[in-house]
Amino acid sequence: MRPLTEEETKTFFEKLAKYIGSNIKHLIDRPDETYCFRLHKDRVYYVSESLMRKATSIGRDNLKSLGVCFGKFTKTGKFRLHITCLDYLSQYAKYKMWIKPNGEMPYLYGNHVVKAHLGRITEDTPEHQGVVIYSMSDVPLGFGVTARSTADTRKLEPTAIIAFHQADIGEYLRDEDTLF
Amino acid sequence: MDVSAVLEAHKAQFKPITVDKVIPLEYDLNLLTALDSNPLDESQLRSNTEEYLKQYTRDGCQLLFNHIFTLPVVSDESGVLATLPERVTTIPREKPLPKPKPPTRWERFAAQKGIQKQKKERMVFDERTGEYVPRWGYGGGKKNKTEDWLLEVPQNADPMEDQYAKKNEEKQERMEKNKKRQQRNLDERAAQEKGVNPRDARKQQVYDALATSKKSTASLGKFDKQLSGEPKQKGIKRKFEATEADVAKEKAKHLDILNKVVGKAGEPTVNVRKAIKLTKRK
Repeated sequence: MRPLTEEETKTFFEKLAKYIGSNIKHLIDRPDETYCFRLHKDRVYYVSESLMRKATSIGRDNLKSLGVCFGKFTKTGKFRLHITCLDYLSQYAKYKMWIKPNGEMPYLYGNHVVKAHLGRITEDTPEHQGVVIYSMSDVPLGFGVTARSTADTRKLEPTAIIAFHQADIGEYLRDEDTLF
Repeated sequence: MDVSAVLEAHKAQFKPITVDKVIPLEYDLNLLTALDSNPLDESQLRSNTEEYLKQYTRDGCQLLFNHIFTLPVVSDESGVLATLPERVTTIPREKPLPKPKPPTRWERFAAQKGIQKQKKERMVFDERTGEYVPRWGYGGGKKNKTEDWLLEVPQNADPMEDQYAKKNEEKQERMEKNKKRQQRNLDERAAQEKGVNPRDARKQQVYDALATSKKSTASLGKFDKQLSGEPKQKGIKRKFEATEADVAKEKAKHLDILNKVVGKAGEPTVNVRKAIKLTKRK
């Protein structure tokens, strides 16, 4: 467990900013308790300071996980967000997308979002923008990247993909072994 | 008067100069050495060691001196000197034989083409002065001092060009080029003697130079861009912050990085696209 280097922080924030933009500062600067990001076995964890200090007494090999896992660094140095960070993403998301009840199951099995399943979308969402996907009852289901801007989606046929799947809560079951 | 008794008595003081050995000794008089291959008498060596060894050594020396006195003699101011013969013993070399030098590039080319070296005399006859002058080196330049008092300007050349300077420059260039080739031959030879492929050695040199130049900036190369395919620098260790450092400081640092990533002002307060759309509608 160690703090992120400057370069790692930069790549991590760049990825996170695609979904929550400058709201990252609410994660860093919290009124309740100081929180920090820690890297452990290539994974980035969001931990409170007190918990982090307690975790330092556990050996590197024995420490399995701590706090909330935000994602992991790939071997090539890119950052990949995990579904476990959905709580924070949905809280601060800039652009949102709601899908109809008949589209929930296909999405939760790892498929892209097609236009037919689209219930609502934030106005003026640009193309290739990170969005958090909700069910119509405002339950966050996952996140993805828009394939088209809001304006462009109007002209599309119902089977066209409008959001590429990145992560969904179905992964808690599907990728149970590797997720945390 | 019979002096034989006196002579006998005088002679008895000294040991005889003849020594009997079963196997004759081998001599190398150049090194003033005699080699005795006769076996030692074991019983005498045990019982009477000192005396026996003294006797044995005397015999050996006597034989050696006998031989030295048979050598031809030269009388000199410093006295009577014996001239020593050639050395017989061969002493092994201390160092191994030098290895043949690997051929230079030219030598390899010449061997391939069958070009043979022709010996040129060192001195050349100068017809004008009627003297022999060295072909090159000290005094070699004398012969053409007066030769090029006039130089023709070529047809297409710039008439204002200094032909002498041009000639000089060309010679300098040739010399530089030759020096470079000499250096290359030396480098290649050094690499071959180490058992490295000269090409690889050259490559390594370039990498070393690159590493040095990268470390030579004011920040010791901290902010340099990595080139693609650049080999990893050796001896540079990763350094991380302490896990339990000042969290407030870390927070400030993260906010600073965030400002760089998102932009100082965050997102613009006015949605430009939306604003344009609204104005168009009106």
